[in-house]
Amino acid sequence: MIKLDKVYKSFGDFQIKNLSLEVESGEYFVILGPSGAGKTLLLEMMAGLEVPDSGRIMGLEGKRVGLIYQDYMLFPHLNVFQNIAYGLIIRKEKKQKIKDQVEAVSEQLGIGGLLTREIHTLSGGEKQRAAIARAMVMQPEVYLLDEPTAALDLSTKSQIQRLILELHKKNNPTVIHVTHDFEEALAMGDRIGLLFSGSMVQDDTPERVFNNPVSKKAADFLGYKNVFSGEIKEYRIHINGIHIMTPEEYAEKATIAVRSNDIILSKNKLESSARNYFLGRVVRGIKRTNHVEVIVDIGVWLYVDITYQSYNEMHLQPGTPIWATFKTSSVKVFLH
Amino acid sequence: MKTKPVFYFLGTLLILFVIVPLLRMIFSVSPQEAGRAVMEKELIGSIFLTLRASLWATLIALVLGIPLSFVLARHRFFGKKIIEGLIDVPVVIPHTAAGIALLMVWGRESVFTKITGISIPGTEAAISIGMLFVSLPFLVNSAKEGFKMIDVRYEKTAVSLGASPWKAFTSVSLPMARKSIVSGSIMMWARGISEFGAVVILAYHPMTAPVLIFERFQNFGLDYAAPATVVLILVTLVIFVVLRAVGDKK
Repeated sequence: MIKLDKVYKSFGDFQIKNLSLEVESGEYFVILGPSGAGKTLLLEMMAGLEVPDSGRIMGLEGKRVGLIYQDYMLFPHLNVFQNIAYGLIIRKEKKQKIKDQVEAVSEQLGIGGLLTREIHTLSGGEKQRAAIARAMVMQPEVYLLDEPTAALDLSTKSQIQRLILELHKKNNPTVIHVTHDFEEALAMGDRIGLLFSGSMVQDDTPERVFNNPVSKKAADFLGYKNVFSGEIKEYRIHINGIHIMTPEEYAEKATIAVRSNDIILSKNKLESSARNYFLGRVVRGIKRTNHVEVIVDIGVWLYVDITYQSYNEMHLQPGTPIWATFKTSSVKVFLH
Repeated sequence: MKTKPVFYFLGTLLILFVIVPLLRMIFSVSPQEAGRAVMEKELIGSIFLTLRASLWATLIALVLGIPLSFVLARHRFFGKKIIEGLIDVPVVIPHTAAGIALLMVWGRESVFTKITGISIPGTEAAISIGMLFVSLPFLVNSAKEGFKMIDVRYEKTAVSLGASPWKAFTSVSLPMARKSIVSGSIMMWARGISEFGAVVILAYHPMTAPVLIFERFQNFGLDYAAPATVVLILVTLVIFVVLRAVGDKK
Protein backbone atom coordinates (compact mmCIF):
# COMPACT_ATOMS: atom_id res chain seq x y z
CA MET A 1 0.00 0.00 0.00
CA ILE A 2 1.17 3.51 -0.80
CA LYS A 3 0.41 6.01 1.93
CA LEU A 4 0.77 9.78 1.95
CA ASP A 5 0.53 11.28 5.39
CA LYS A 6 -0.08 15.04 5.63
CA VAL A 7 2.29 15.81 2.77
CA TYR A 8 3.03 19.51 2.48
CA LYS A 9 5.11 21.10 -0.25
CA SER A 10 5.51 24.72 -1.16
CA PHE A 11 6.58 25.49 -4.72
CA GLY A 12 6.74 29.19 -5.53
CA ASP A 13 3.26 30.58 -4.91
CA PHE A 14 1.75 27.14 -4.89
CA GLN A 15 1.31 24.59 -2.09
CA ILE A 16 0.32 20.95 -1.73
CA LYS A 17 -1.61 21.26 1.50
CA ASN A 18 -1.26 18.48 4.09
CA LEU A 19 -2.41 15.87 1.63
CA SER A 20 -3.20 12.39 2.94
CA LEU A 21 -3.96 9.48 0.67
CA GLU A 22 -3.89 5.68 0.61
CA VAL A 23 -3.62 3.61 -2.54
CA GLU A 24 -3.92 -0.19 -2.34
CA SER A 25 -1.46 -2.48 -4.13
CA GLY A 26 -2.70 -3.23 -7.62
CA GLU A 27 -5.25 -0.40 -7.51
CA TYR A 28 -5.78 1.98 -10.44
CA PHE A 29 -6.06 5.37 -8.76
CA VAL A 30 -6.79 8.49 -10.78
CA ILE A 31 -5.98 11.94 -9.47
CA LEU A 32 -8.29 14.30 -11.31
CA GLY A 33 -7.82 18.03 -11.26
CA PRO A 34 -7.47 21.13 -13.40
CA SER A 35 -4.13 22.51 -14.62
CA GLY A 36 -2.12 23.98 -11.79
CA ALA A 37 -3.78 21.80 -9.13
CA GLY A 38 -0.41 20.27 -8.19
CA LYS A 39 -0.86 16.90 -9.88
CA THR A 40 2.59 16.68 -11.47
CA LEU A 41 4.33 17.88 -8.31
CA LEU A 42 2.49 15.20 -6.34
CA LEU A 43 3.64 12.49 -8.76
CA GLU A 44 7.21 13.77 -8.73
CA MET A 45 7.21 13.57 -4.93
CA MET A 46 5.98 9.99 -5.13
CA ALA A 47 8.75 9.24 -7.65
CA GLY A 48 11.27 10.65 -5.19
CA LEU A 49 12.20 13.50 -7.54
CA GLU A 50 10.90 16.19 -5.22
CA VAL A 51 11.05 16.10 -1.43
CA PRO A 52 8.02 17.14 0.69
CA ASP A 53 8.61 20.05 3.08
CA SER A 54 6.75 18.05 5.71
CA GLY A 55 4.70 14.87 5.96
CA ARG A 56 5.64 11.39 4.81
CA ILE A 57 5.29 9.25 1.72
CA MET A 58 5.36 5.55 2.62
CA GLY A 59 5.25 2.29 0.72
CA LEU A 60 7.41 3.39 -2.21
CA GLU A 61 10.80 2.84 -0.59
CA GLY A 62 12.87 0.43 -2.68
CA LYS A 63 10.01 -0.10 -5.14
CA ARG A 64 10.59 0.04 -8.88
CA VAL A 65 8.65 3.06 -10.11
CA GLY A 66 7.86 3.87 -13.75
CA LEU A 67 7.18 7.54 -14.43
CA ILE A 68 5.53 8.54 -17.71
CA TYR A 69 4.96 12.16 -18.68
CA GLN A 70 2.35 13.67 -20.96
CA ASP A 71 4.89 14.86 -23.51
CA TYR A 72 6.81 11.58 -23.47
CA MET A 73 10.22 13.00 -22.53
CA LEU A 74 11.92 10.64 -24.94
CA PHE A 75 15.59 11.58 -25.18
CA PRO A 76 15.88 13.20 -28.62
CA HIS A 77 19.57 12.34 -29.03
CA LEU A 78 18.87 8.61 -28.71
CA ASN A 79 16.86 6.38 -31.07
CA VAL A 80 13.84 4.33 -30.00
CA PHE A 81 15.90 1.27 -29.00
CA GLN A 82 18.38 3.36 -27.00
CA ASN A 83 15.53 5.16 -25.26
CA ILE A 84 13.79 1.95 -24.22
CA ALA A 85 17.11 0.40 -23.20
CA TYR A 86 18.20 3.46 -21.18
CA GLY A 87 17.27 2.13 -17.72
CA LEU A 88 18.66 -1.33 -18.45
CA ILE A 89 21.98 0.18 -19.59
CA ILE A 90 22.10 2.25 -16.39
CA ARG A 91 21.45 -0.96 -14.48
CA LYS A 92 24.44 -2.46 -16.38
CA GLU A 93 22.48 -5.42 -17.75
CA LYS A 94 24.19 -7.68 -20.30
CA LYS A 95 23.87 -6.58 -23.93
CA GLN A 96 21.99 -9.69 -25.03
CA LYS A 97 19.52 -9.38 -22.15
CA ILE A 98 18.93 -5.71 -22.99
CA LYS A 99 18.30 -6.58 -26.62
CA ASP A 100 15.91 -9.42 -25.74
CA GLN A 101 13.93 -7.38 -23.21
CA VAL A 102 13.66 -4.27 -25.39
CA GLU A 103 12.49 -6.37 -28.33
CA ALA A 104 9.96 -8.26 -26.22
CA VAL A 105 8.42 -5.12 -24.72
CA SER A 106 8.37 -3.20 -27.98
CA GLU A 107 6.69 -6.15 -29.74
CA GLN A 108 4.07 -6.23 -27.00
CA LEU A 109 3.39 -2.52 -27.48
CA GLY A 110 3.32 -2.72 -31.26
CA ILE A 111 6.46 -0.68 -31.91
CA GLY A 112 8.80 -3.60 -32.73
CA GLY A 113 9.39 -2.18 -36.20
CA LEU A 114 10.38 1.27 -34.95
CA LEU A 115 13.45 0.44 -32.87
CA THR A 116 16.01 2.02 -35.18
CA ARG A 117 13.92 5.16 -35.79
CA GLU A 118 14.89 8.60 -34.52
CA ILE A 119 12.45 10.10 -32.01
CA HIS A 120 11.48 13.10 -34.15
CA THR A 121 10.18 10.79 -36.89
CA LEU A 122 7.54 9.17 -34.62
CA SER A 123 3.86 10.10 -34.34
CA GLY A 124 2.40 11.14 -30.98
CA GLY A 125 0.92 7.68 -30.36
CA GLU A 126 4.21 5.96 -31.26
CA LYS A 127 6.11 8.28 -28.96
CA GLN A 128 3.80 7.49 -26.04
CA ARG A 129 4.12 3.75 -26.73
CA ALA A 130 7.91 4.15 -26.72
CA ALA A 131 7.72 6.07 -23.43
CA ILE A 132 5.52 3.35 -21.91
CA ALA A 133 7.95 0.71 -23.21
CA ARG A 134 10.88 2.55 -21.62
CA ALA A 135 9.15 2.45 -18.24
CA MET A 136 7.71 -1.05 -18.70
CA VAL A 137 11.02 -2.71 -19.56
CA MET A 138 12.14 -1.91 -16.00
CA GLN A 139 9.18 -4.00 -14.73
CA PRO A 140 7.92 -1.34 -12.32
CA GLU A 141 5.68 -2.29 -9.41
CA VAL A 142 4.16 1.20 -9.47
CA TYR A 143 3.35 3.30 -12.53
CA LEU A 144 3.07 7.06 -12.14
CA LEU A 145 1.31 8.45 -15.21
CA ASP A 146 1.28 12.21 -15.71
CA GLU A 147 -1.49 13.03 -18.20
CA PRO A 148 -0.37 10.19 -20.48
CA THR A 149 -2.92 10.90 -23.23
CA ALA A 150 -3.25 14.68 -23.02
CA ALA A 151 -1.09 15.36 -26.06
CA LEU A 152 -2.78 12.78 -28.30
CA ASP A 153 -5.58 13.02 -30.87
CA LEU A 154 -8.91 11.43 -30.03
CA SER A 155 -8.47 8.01 -31.65
CA THR A 156 -4.86 7.58 -30.50
CA LYS A 157 -5.98 8.65 -27.05
CA SER A 158 -8.48 5.79 -26.73
CA GLN A 159 -5.88 3.33 -28.14
CA ILE A 160 -3.38 4.35 -25.46
CA GLN A 161 -6.09 4.23 -22.77
CA ARG A 162 -6.97 0.67 -23.79
CA LEU A 163 -3.29 -0.26 -23.88
CA ILE A 164 -2.70 1.05 -20.35
CA LEU A 165 -5.80 -0.76 -19.05
CA GLU A 166 -4.67 -4.02 -20.70
CA LEU A 167 -1.22 -3.69 -19.13
CA HIS A 168 -2.81 -3.03 -15.75
CA LYS A 169 -5.08 -6.05 -16.09
CA LYS A 170 -2.24 -8.31 -17.20
CA ASN A 171 0.51 -7.38 -14.73
CA ASN A 172 -1.61 -5.74 -12.02
CA PRO A 173 0.83 -3.03 -10.96
CA THR A 174 -0.33 -0.15 -8.78
CA VAL A 175 -1.13 2.76 -11.08
CA ILE A 176 -1.41 6.39 -10.06
CA HIS A 177 -2.65 8.32 -13.04
CA VAL A 178 -3.13 12.07 -13.02
CA THR A 179 -5.37 13.76 -15.54
CA HIS A 180 -7.54 16.83 -16.07
CA ASP A 181 -9.90 14.81 -18.30
CA PHE A 182 -12.91 13.63 -16.28
CA GLU A 183 -14.04 11.23 -19.00
CA GLU A 184 -10.63 9.54 -18.87
CA ALA A 185 -10.80 9.40 -15.07
CA LEU A 186 -14.25 7.81 -15.25
CA ALA A 187 -13.15 5.31 -17.89
CA MET A 188 -9.95 4.20 -16.18
CA GLY A 189 -9.98 4.63 -12.43
CA ASP A 190 -10.92 2.11 -9.74
CA ARG A 191 -11.02 5.16 -7.53
CA ILE A 192 -10.76 8.90 -8.18
CA GLY A 193 -9.22 11.61 -6.05
CA LEU A 194 -10.30 15.12 -6.92
CA LEU A 195 -7.43 17.58 -6.50
CA PHE A 196 -8.06 21.33 -6.41
CA SER A 197 -5.35 23.90 -5.60
CA GLY A 198 -3.15 21.40 -3.79
CA SER A 199 -5.96 19.84 -1.71
CA MET A 200 -7.70 16.50 -2.20
CA VAL A 201 -11.35 17.56 -1.94
CA GLN A 202 -12.93 14.17 -2.67
CA ASP A 203 -11.69 10.58 -2.84
CA ASP A 204 -14.22 7.95 -3.85
CA THR A 205 -15.42 5.55 -6.55
CA PRO A 206 -15.84 7.14 -9.99
CA GLU A 207 -19.65 6.81 -9.75
CA ARG A 208 -19.88 8.57 -6.40
CA VAL A 209 -17.44 11.32 -7.41
CA PHE A 210 -19.47 12.05 -10.53
CA ASN A 211 -22.91 11.71 -9.02
CA ASN A 212 -22.22 13.63 -5.84
CA PRO A 213 -19.90 16.54 -6.55
CA VAL A 214 -18.77 18.12 -3.30
CA SER A 215 -18.79 21.73 -4.44
CA LYS A 216 -19.81 24.08 -7.21
CA LYS A 217 -16.21 24.04 -8.41
CA ALA A 218 -16.25 20.25 -8.49
CA ALA A 219 -19.56 20.22 -10.38
CA ASP A 220 -18.20 22.72 -12.92
CA PHE A 221 -15.06 20.67 -13.35
CA LEU A 222 -16.90 17.35 -13.61
CA GLY A 223 -18.77 18.62 -16.62
CA TYR A 224 -22.04 19.68 -15.00
CA LYS A 225 -23.26 22.25 -17.50
CA ASN A 226 -26.32 23.45 -15.57
CA VAL A 227 -24.94 25.25 -12.54
CA PHE A 228 -26.99 28.09 -11.04
CA SER A 229 -26.80 30.19 -7.88
CA GLY A 230 -29.67 31.75 -5.93
CA GLU A 231 -31.71 31.72 -2.69
CA ILE A 232 -33.63 28.64 -1.59
CA LYS A 233 -37.05 29.12 0.06
CA GLU A 234 -39.48 26.30 0.76
CA TYR A 235 -37.58 23.73 -1.35
CA ARG A 236 -37.36 26.11 -4.32
CA ILE A 237 -34.35 27.98 -5.67
CA HIS A 238 -35.26 31.21 -7.39
CA ILE A 239 -33.21 32.07 -10.46
CA ASN A 240 -34.03 34.71 -13.01
CA GLY A 241 -37.81 34.53 -12.58
CA ILE A 242 -38.07 30.73 -12.51
CA HIS A 243 -37.93 28.38 -9.57
CA ILE A 244 -36.44 24.90 -9.46
CA MET A 245 -37.48 22.34 -6.82
CA THR A 246 -34.54 21.25 -4.66
CA PRO A 247 -34.05 18.62 -1.95
CA GLU A 248 -32.96 21.47 0.39
CA GLU A 249 -35.60 23.45 2.30
CA TYR A 250 -33.93 26.79 2.99
CA ALA A 251 -30.64 28.58 2.27
CA GLU A 252 -29.83 32.22 1.82
CA LYS A 253 -27.23 31.42 -0.78
CA ALA A 254 -26.83 28.15 -2.64
CA THR A 255 -25.67 26.77 -5.94
CA ILE A 256 -27.38 23.91 -7.71
CA ALA A 257 -26.08 21.62 -10.43
CA VAL A 258 -28.03 19.38 -12.77
CA ARG A 259 -26.35 16.96 -15.16
CA SER A 260 -27.24 17.51 -18.78
CA ASN A 261 -28.22 13.86 -19.26
CA ASP A 262 -30.59 13.91 -16.27
CA ILE A 263 -32.98 16.20 -18.16
CA ILE A 264 -35.70 14.83 -20.46
CA LEU A 265 -36.95 16.81 -23.44
CA SER A 266 -40.50 16.26 -24.72
CA LYS A 267 -42.89 17.93 -27.15
CA ASN A 268 -45.77 17.60 -24.61
CA LYS A 269 -45.84 18.03 -20.86
CA LEU A 270 -44.98 14.72 -19.16
CA GLU A 271 -47.30 13.31 -16.51
CA SER A 272 -44.63 11.94 -14.15
CA SER A 273 -43.24 12.00 -10.63
CA ALA A 274 -40.62 14.59 -11.68
CA ARG A 275 -41.32 17.91 -9.94
CA ASN A 276 -39.33 20.17 -12.26
CA TYR A 277 -40.94 20.81 -15.64
CA PHE A 278 -40.52 23.92 -17.76
CA LEU A 279 -41.81 24.99 -21.14
CA GLY A 280 -39.03 26.63 -23.13
CA ARG A 281 -37.72 27.07 -26.64
CA VAL A 282 -34.79 25.43 -28.38
CA VAL A 283 -31.93 27.91 -28.80
CA ARG A 284 -29.75 25.58 -30.85
CA GLY A 285 -28.32 22.05 -31.02
CA ILE A 286 -24.55 21.60 -30.81
CA LYS A 287 -23.39 18.38 -32.46
CA ARG A 288 -20.87 16.48 -30.34
CA THR A 289 -19.07 13.18 -31.07
CA ASN A 290 -21.68 10.89 -29.46
CA HIS A 291 -24.63 13.14 -28.72
CA VAL A 292 -26.30 16.46 -29.44
CA GLU A 293 -26.13 19.16 -26.79
CA VAL A 294 -29.43 21.03 -27.00
CA ILE A 295 -29.66 24.48 -25.42
CA VAL A 296 -33.19 25.23 -24.15
CA ASP A 297 -34.20 28.68 -22.95
CA ILE A 298 -36.57 28.35 -19.96
CA GLY A 299 -35.69 31.78 -18.55
CA VAL A 300 -32.19 30.47 -17.99
CA TRP A 301 -30.32 28.36 -20.49
CA LEU A 302 -30.48 24.62 -19.81
CA TYR A 303 -27.97 22.31 -21.49
CA VAL A 304 -29.48 18.93 -22.32
CA ASP A 305 -27.63 15.99 -23.89
CA ILE A 306 -29.74 13.75 -26.16
CA THR A 307 -28.90 11.14 -28.78
CA TYR A 308 -28.70 11.92 -32.49
CA GLN A 309 -31.70 9.62 -32.99
CA SER A 310 -33.88 11.63 -30.58
CA TYR A 311 -32.65 14.91 -32.01
CA ASN A 312 -33.59 13.91 -35.55
CA GLU A 313 -36.92 12.28 -34.65
CA MET A 314 -38.06 15.30 -32.60
CA HIS A 315 -37.18 17.69 -35.45
CA LEU A 316 -35.67 20.20 -33.02
CA GLN A 317 -35.01 23.55 -34.66
CA PRO A 318 -34.13 26.89 -33.10
CA GLY A 319 -37.42 28.31 -31.74
CA THR A 320 -39.19 24.94 -31.37
CA PRO A 321 -41.29 24.94 -28.15
CA ILE A 322 -40.14 22.12 -25.87
CA TRP A 323 -40.72 20.77 -22.35
CA ALA A 324 -37.70 20.12 -20.11
CA THR A 325 -38.29 17.77 -17.16
CA PHE A 326 -36.01 16.55 -14.34
CA LYS A 327 -36.39 15.05 -10.89
CA THR A 328 -35.77 16.98 -7.72
CA SER A 329 -33.33 14.26 -6.66
CA SER A 330 -31.12 15.02 -9.66
CA VAL A 331 -30.62 18.57 -8.36
CA LYS A 332 -27.29 18.69 -6.44
CA VAL A 333 -27.25 21.53 -3.93
CA PHE A 334 -24.12 23.26 -2.60
CA LEU A 335 -24.69 25.61 0.30
CA HIS A 336 -22.45 28.67 0.48
CA MET B 1 5.21 50.45 -46.86
CA LYS B 2 6.56 47.11 -47.96
CA THR B 3 9.02 45.91 -45.37
CA LYS B 4 10.80 43.16 -47.30
CA PRO B 5 12.81 45.30 -49.79
CA VAL B 6 13.65 47.87 -47.11
CA PHE B 7 14.87 45.18 -44.70
CA TYR B 8 16.89 43.51 -47.46
CA PHE B 9 18.48 46.84 -48.35
CA LEU B 10 19.36 47.74 -44.74
CA GLY B 11 20.70 44.23 -44.07
CA THR B 12 22.82 44.37 -47.22
CA LEU B 13 24.39 47.65 -46.09
CA LEU B 14 25.55 46.03 -42.87
CA ILE B 15 26.91 42.96 -44.62
CA LEU B 16 28.83 45.20 -47.05
CA PHE B 17 30.25 47.08 -44.07
CA VAL B 18 31.80 43.79 -42.92
CA ILE B 19 32.75 42.30 -46.26
CA VAL B 20 34.23 45.29 -48.10
CA PRO B 21 37.24 45.86 -45.78
CA LEU B 22 37.95 42.12 -45.74
CA LEU B 23 37.84 41.82 -49.54
CA ARG B 24 39.75 45.07 -49.97
CA MET B 25 42.42 43.67 -47.68
CA ILE B 26 42.61 40.31 -49.45
CA PHE B 27 42.82 41.84 -52.95
CA SER B 28 45.43 44.37 -51.89
CA VAL B 29 47.96 41.55 -51.57
CA SER B 30 49.30 39.72 -54.63
CA PRO B 31 49.34 35.91 -54.63
CA GLN B 32 53.16 36.05 -54.63
CA GLU B 33 53.23 38.21 -51.51
CA ALA B 34 50.70 35.95 -49.80
CA GLY B 35 52.74 32.89 -50.81
CA ARG B 36 55.86 34.42 -49.32
CA ALA B 37 54.00 35.20 -46.11
CA VAL B 38 52.78 31.59 -45.85
CA MET B 39 56.40 30.38 -46.05
CA GLU B 40 57.44 32.77 -43.30
CA LYS B 41 58.26 30.84 -40.14
CA GLU B 42 57.67 33.73 -37.75
CA LEU B 43 54.15 34.36 -39.05
CA ILE B 44 53.13 30.69 -39.22
CA GLY B 45 54.58 30.16 -35.75
CA SER B 46 52.56 33.03 -34.35
CA ILE B 47 49.35 31.81 -36.01
CA PHE B 48 49.81 28.33 -34.53
CA LEU B 49 50.62 29.86 -31.15
CA THR B 50 47.41 31.91 -31.32
CA LEU B 51 45.24 28.95 -32.30
CA ARG B 52 46.82 26.76 -29.62
CA ALA B 53 46.64 29.32 -26.78
CA SER B 54 42.99 30.01 -27.56
CA LEU B 55 42.30 26.27 -27.64
CA TRP B 56 43.79 25.89 -24.12
CA ALA B 57 41.62 28.78 -22.93
CA THR B 58 38.54 27.15 -24.45
CA LEU B 59 39.35 23.75 -22.88
CA ILE B 60 39.77 25.35 -19.45
CA ALA B 61 36.47 27.18 -19.91
CA LEU B 62 34.77 23.91 -20.89
CA VAL B 63 35.93 22.15 -17.71
CA LEU B 64 35.11 25.04 -15.37
CA GLY B 65 32.37 26.82 -17.31
CA ILE B 66 29.98 23.97 -18.09
CA PRO B 67 29.28 23.15 -14.45
CA LEU B 68 28.81 26.88 -13.82
CA SER B 69 26.46 27.32 -16.76
CA PHE B 70 24.43 24.27 -15.67
CA VAL B 71 24.10 25.64 -12.14
CA LEU B 72 23.05 29.04 -13.51
CA ALA B 73 20.49 27.44 -15.82
CA ARG B 74 18.98 25.06 -13.25
CA HIS B 75 19.21 26.60 -9.81
CA ARG B 76 17.88 29.69 -8.12
CA PHE B 77 20.08 31.09 -5.38
CA PHE B 78 20.93 34.32 -3.67
CA GLY B 79 23.32 36.43 -5.74
CA LYS B 80 22.67 34.58 -9.00
CA LYS B 81 22.00 37.80 -10.93
CA ILE B 82 25.29 39.25 -9.65
CA ILE B 83 27.21 36.22 -10.86
CA GLU B 84 25.48 36.40 -14.25
CA GLY B 85 26.46 40.07 -14.43
CA LEU B 86 30.06 39.27 -13.48
CA ILE B 87 30.30 36.73 -16.29
CA ASP B 88 29.48 39.53 -18.76
CA VAL B 89 31.99 41.99 -17.29
CA PRO B 90 34.85 40.94 -19.63
CA VAL B 91 32.68 41.89 -22.61
CA VAL B 92 32.07 45.43 -21.41
CA ILE B 93 35.42 46.54 -19.98
CA PRO B 94 38.23 47.69 -22.30
CA HIS B 95 40.51 44.73 -22.89
CA THR B 96 43.69 46.65 -22.14
CA ALA B 97 42.17 47.37 -18.71
CA ALA B 98 41.42 43.66 -18.38
CA GLY B 99 45.06 42.95 -19.23
CA ILE B 100 46.31 45.29 -16.53
CA ALA B 101 43.94 43.79 -13.97
CA LEU B 102 45.16 40.32 -14.90
CA LEU B 103 48.77 41.45 -14.63
CA MET B 104 48.13 42.39 -11.00
CA VAL B 105 47.08 38.83 -10.23
CA TRP B 106 49.45 36.93 -12.54
CA GLY B 107 52.34 39.43 -12.91
CA ARG B 108 55.92 39.05 -11.66
CA GLU B 109 55.14 40.96 -8.48
CA SER B 110 51.94 39.02 -7.81
CA VAL B 111 51.18 36.85 -4.80
CA PHE B 112 50.89 33.89 -7.17
CA THR B 113 54.49 34.30 -8.38
CA LYS B 114 55.80 34.96 -4.87
CA ILE B 115 54.22 31.75 -3.56
CA THR B 116 54.85 29.42 -6.50
CA GLY B 117 57.97 30.98 -7.96
CA ILE B 118 56.39 30.58 -11.39
CA SER B 119 56.50 33.63 -13.63
CA ILE B 120 53.57 33.78 -16.00
CA PRO B 121 53.96 37.00 -18.06
CA GLY B 122 55.59 36.51 -21.43
CA THR B 123 54.59 32.83 -21.70
CA GLU B 124 52.01 30.90 -23.69
CA ALA B 125 50.12 30.44 -20.40
CA ALA B 126 49.84 34.23 -20.06
CA ILE B 127 48.34 34.43 -23.54
CA SER B 128 45.78 31.75 -22.64
CA ILE B 129 44.92 33.55 -19.40
CA GLY B 130 44.23 36.80 -21.29
CA MET B 131 42.15 34.97 -23.89
CA LEU B 132 40.25 33.01 -21.24
CA PHE B 133 39.32 36.16 -19.34
CA VAL B 134 37.93 38.08 -22.29
CA SER B 135 36.23 35.25 -24.15
CA LEU B 136 34.67 33.02 -21.47
CA PRO B 137 31.27 34.81 -21.56
CA PHE B 138 30.68 33.41 -25.04
CA LEU B 139 30.95 29.81 -23.86
CA VAL B 140 29.28 30.18 -20.46
CA ASN B 141 26.30 32.15 -21.79
CA SER B 142 25.77 29.89 -24.77
CA ALA B 143 25.97 26.71 -22.66
CA LYS B 144 23.63 28.26 -20.07
CA GLU B 145 21.03 29.03 -22.74
CA GLY B 146 21.44 25.49 -24.07
CA PHE B 147 20.79 23.94 -20.65
CA LYS B 148 17.87 26.29 -20.05
CA MET B 149 16.17 25.04 -23.19
CA ILE B 150 16.15 21.45 -21.92
CA ASP B 151 13.00 20.58 -20.00
CA VAL B 152 14.10 19.52 -16.52
CA ARG B 153 11.71 16.57 -16.82
CA TYR B 154 14.18 14.86 -19.20
CA GLU B 155 16.62 14.72 -16.30
CA LYS B 156 13.86 13.64 -13.93
CA THR B 157 12.90 10.85 -16.31
CA ALA B 158 16.53 9.66 -16.41
CA VAL B 159 16.67 9.65 -12.59
CA SER B 160 13.36 7.77 -12.40
CA LEU B 161 14.96 5.12 -14.66
CA GLY B 162 17.76 4.63 -12.16
CA ALA B 163 20.36 7.18 -13.30
CA SER B 164 22.31 9.12 -10.69
CA PRO B 165 22.12 12.91 -11.06
CA TRP B 166 25.67 12.82 -12.49
CA LYS B 167 24.72 10.12 -14.98
CA ALA B 168 21.56 12.04 -15.91
CA PHE B 169 23.76 15.08 -16.54
CA THR B 170 26.32 13.26 -18.67
CA SER B 171 23.91 11.03 -20.58
CA VAL B 172 20.99 13.43 -21.07
CA SER B 173 21.65 17.12 -20.32
CA LEU B 174 25.13 17.31 -21.80
CA PRO B 175 24.35 15.62 -25.13
CA MET B 176 21.10 17.57 -25.44
CA ALA B 177 22.90 20.89 -24.89
CA ARG B 178 25.76 19.80 -27.16
CA LYS B 179 24.87 22.16 -30.01
CA SER B 180 24.89 25.24 -27.78
CA ILE B 181 28.11 24.12 -26.09
CA VAL B 182 29.84 23.48 -29.43
CA SER B 183 28.73 26.78 -30.88
CA GLY B 184 29.73 28.62 -27.68
CA SER B 185 33.13 26.92 -27.80
CA ILE B 186 33.67 27.92 -31.42
CA MET B 187 32.72 31.50 -30.63
CA MET B 188 34.97 31.53 -27.60
CA TRP B 189 37.90 30.10 -29.51
CA ALA B 190 37.35 32.64 -32.28
CA ARG B 191 37.13 35.50 -29.81
CA GLY B 192 40.32 34.29 -28.13
CA ILE B 193 42.19 34.18 -31.42
CA SER B 194 41.25 37.76 -32.24
CA GLU B 195 42.18 39.08 -28.78
CA PHE B 196 44.82 41.80 -28.75
CA GLY B 197 44.37 44.22 -25.83
CA ALA B 198 44.59 41.84 -22.86
CA VAL B 199 47.19 39.60 -24.52
CA VAL B 200 49.60 42.37 -25.49
CA ILE B 201 49.84 43.50 -21.89
CA LEU B 202 50.33 40.02 -20.43
CA ALA B 203 52.65 38.74 -23.17
CA TYR B 204 54.16 40.90 -25.89
CA HIS B 205 56.40 37.92 -26.56
CA PRO B 206 55.90 35.22 -27.68
CA MET B 207 53.89 37.09 -30.28
CA THR B 208 50.40 36.01 -31.17
CA ALA B 209 49.27 36.79 -34.70
CA PRO B 210 47.33 39.96 -33.76
CA VAL B 211 50.36 41.28 -31.82
CA LEU B 212 52.69 40.42 -34.72
CA ILE B 213 50.44 42.25 -37.18
CA PHE B 214 50.30 45.27 -34.88
CA GLU B 215 54.07 45.28 -34.51
CA ARG B 216 54.65 45.10 -38.26
CA PHE B 217 52.12 47.83 -38.89
CA GLN B 218 53.67 50.09 -36.28
CA ASN B 219 57.31 49.52 -37.30
CA PHE B 220 57.07 49.04 -41.05
CA GLY B 221 53.65 50.30 -42.17
CA LEU B 222 50.58 48.97 -43.90
CA ASP B 223 52.30 47.26 -46.86
CA TYR B 224 54.39 45.07 -44.60
CA ALA B 225 51.49 44.19 -42.28
CA ALA B 226 49.02 43.38 -45.07
CA PRO B 227 50.27 39.92 -46.22
CA ALA B 228 50.36 38.61 -42.64
CA THR B 229 46.85 40.00 -42.09
CA VAL B 230 45.54 38.28 -45.22
CA VAL B 231 47.02 34.94 -44.18
CA LEU B 232 45.51 35.25 -40.68
CA ILE B 233 42.08 36.20 -42.06
CA LEU B 234 42.08 33.31 -44.54
CA VAL B 235 43.26 30.71 -42.01
CA THR B 236 40.67 31.72 -39.40
CA LEU B 237 37.86 31.99 -41.99
CA VAL B 238 38.54 28.50 -43.35
CA ILE B 239 38.70 27.00 -39.85
CA PHE B 240 35.46 28.59 -38.70
CA VAL B 241 33.51 27.83 -41.83
CA VAL B 242 34.55 24.17 -41.49
CA LEU B 243 33.80 24.07 -37.74
CA ARG B 244 30.40 25.70 -38.22
CA ALA B 245 29.51 23.27 -41.00
CA VAL B 246 30.56 20.26 -38.91
CA GLY B 247 28.84 21.61 -35.81
CA ASP B 248 25.55 22.24 -37.62
CA LYS B 249 25.59 18.87 -39.33
CA LYS B 250 25.86 16.77 -36.18
